[in-house]
Amino acid sequence: MHEWSLAEAILEALTSLMEQEGMKSISEVEILYGEMMELELDILRFALEELSRETPMKDTKFTFSEEKASFRCNSCGYRWDFEQAHSLLSGELGIREDPTGERESPIHFIPELAQALMRCPNCGSRDFEIESGKGIRISRIVIER
Amino acid sequence: MDPLFERTRSKIRKISKVTLVASGKGGVGKSIVSSSIALISAKRGLKTGLLDLDVHGPSIPRIFSFNGEIVAGKKGLIPPVVNGVKIMSLGFMIGENPLPLRGEDKRSALSLLLAITDWGELDHLVIDMPPGTGDETLFCIRAIKSTNASALIVTTPSSLSLSVVARLIDLLRGEGVRVLGLVENLAYFRCDNELIRPFGNIDEGFLSRYGLKILESLPIDPMIEEEIKSGKLLESPGEFRSRIESLFDKVVG
Repeated sequence: MHEWSLAEAILEALTSLMEQEGMKSISEVEILYGEMMELELDILRFALEELSRETPMKDTKFTFSEEKASFRCNSCGYRWDFEQAHSLLSGELGIREDPTGERESPIHFIPELAQALMRCPNCGSRDFEIESGKGIRISRIVIER
Repeated sequence: MDPLFERTRSKIRKISKVTLVASGKGGVGKSIVSSSIALISAKRGLKTGLLDLDVHGPSIPRIFSFNGEIVAGKKGLIPPVVNGVKIMSLGFMIGENPLPLRGEDKRSALSLLLAITDWGELDHLVIDMPPGTGDETLFCIRAIKSTNASALIVTTPSSLSLSVVARLIDLLRGEGVRVLGLVENLAYFRCDNELIRPFGNIDEGFLSRYGLKILESLPIDPMIEEEIKSGKLLESPGEFRSRIESLFDKVVG
């Protein structure tokens, strides 16, 4: 459900960049996002299309690349992936999508919260790194001046 | 390019009044002061939000006794409204677990929290800053740059607290944040009509050296702890509440 607010954020950042750099239009934008964001690309694409209708980005082509998530324990050196991470999360804490909707893990909204909600599956330590797979950024744009 | 940080900045720019409540040191009552200001702000009819930026020790959920579930709508996370104040904190999402975040992760977690919180229309946002001058503080300063946000510094009269406050004030002013003044918390209590100041007075030399004034002195009041336990901060009239109202008039008007 946070795809709409992310779409707004992306368009706002591009608008501000266009103003700063005096760009006429942007023909292509590549978005790099982490696996932990669990983005529903159909919703994000639709949101970008809807929200950019009356803007200079109405014809911009958006492409997406996903970065896989990887975790490493600082205590024992064990590495694990997002699939295993999912199985470690308790369902105790969650964010409800709409008052009557499904419950999602908080890390779907803020991946860094994995540091609070997960432990190393090998040794149980909380001292681990999320090496990759979180966040979202605009990694490439193609412009027309 | 980080679209979330841009979003954070634009959201803050749209709010007409932003008050940072900061302290160099932890445990001086910053969260109580920020919650109290937000409650008075809402009582005075302003659409008020309270954002808890304390990553390691978020207190706002406890002060407001909110144990419910956070709901996400189409435009992002919807802050629950408690006693008229829209509140948001990472504490809602982590329960009683510690959140051992490192520098860059703190910045990106807070950036996401700000970018995807759907405050709706707000007249006044009170930001409960984390203690110290670390990554979270720097993130917040960057986010409010070029806005009309201003900072209230909470301290106790203790010289230990003041030495840390001085560093924070240097940082804030160096980055162009307007410092409104000091709130002297835990300043005194009354015993048999005698006013006792257990930590003494804030040194006049310190105030003049930093060009600061004490906007309000707040009493040590055991009732506050009882009010927090029952989730009813500022429910009962008394000296603490009247002084917070006076503080609000000075900084928000």
